[in-house]
Amino acid sequence: VYSGALKRNLSSEQVRADFIALGLSEEKASYFAEQWKVNSPTLTRLAVGQTLMINQLIDMEWKFGVTAGSSELEKVGSIFLQLKLVIKKGSQLENVYVELTLPQFYSFLHEMERVKTSLESFS
Amino acid sequence: MAALRDEDFAALQILLKAPSKDAVRQLCQECFSSPPAALGPLAQRACPGLAVSSQEAEQLVSALHNLTRHVVYRGFTSAEDILCLFPENFHQNLKNLLTKIILENTSAWRNEAQASQISLPRLVDMDWRVDIKTSSDSIARMAVPTCLLQLKIQEDAALCGNNPVVSALTVELSKETLDTMLEGLGRIRDQLSAVANK
Repeated sequence: VYSGALKRNLSSEQVRADFIALGLSEEKASYFAEQWKVNSPTLTRLAVGQTLMINQLIDMEWKFGVTAGSSELEKVGSIFLQLKLVIKKGSQLENVYVELTLPQFYSFLHEMERVKTSLESFS
Repeated sequence: MAALRDEDFAALQILLKAPSKDAVRQLCQECFSSPPAALGPLAQRACPGLAVSSQEAEQLVSALHNLTRHVVYRGFTSAEDILCLFPENFHQNLKNLLTKIILENTSAWRNEAQASQISLPRLVDMDWRVDIKTSSDSIARMAVPTCLLQLKIQEDAALCGNNPVVSALTVELSKETLDTMLEGLGRIRDQLSAVANK
């Protein structure tokens, strides 16, 4: 009954009516309707948490360092940043490795701050 | 990088038969940029212009490749360093011409080498959009903002040759994930400034 109530966004009155229609006594139906009213925010949050997410980002690890040399250049001295993104694809976790230059990193940081502002304005 | 051998310098003197200084310049650039495997075909193309046998062309192309790569590897920036590489009896004018051409190109070549060095897959582009989730199969009404981030990632350039593979990865982030990520990125920025200020 509760999950149906979440799906159809029912008020506590409607939940009480549902319980009575299912054969519960008035007293018990009222009790359960009260419980619904009190707990529905929590249940809602849990249901939202279960909502479908595509390729959800689970974790991010990073390291940065300096490239000292290579087979083409004896001395390099350039900074690299490596990110490891852990992504949930369906039920499996996948690791994605990406390298960024410094300008790319600052631009990425700037864009993510813009996303945060946008998300906050919609909450 | 192997040091240059006497045969290499002997082969370089074939350049004296080149039609013009620009032809020499062009050949230097092609020899540097070409990977060792492509030197054969390059030699074949150079043959007619130089009026030499294909074996001599191959030796020349290989020598020029070694010379230009060696200079870029060691990071020589002054004429003296490059001039020192040549043996005593090497043709003076040719030596000066080659040094001049190499100096002109060395910083562009250095960038080219750095761009093509091995690395993890690189980020080439990123896009994002913010969606509002309004309902789902488990809940009828909600207004949950979520972010979709698309990263365009290019595989290691050295492995792909001329056809780099770019894959697009779309990732979804909730507000909490984004906040955590920004915290992490902020720490990276702080550490970078600490390193830069040392």
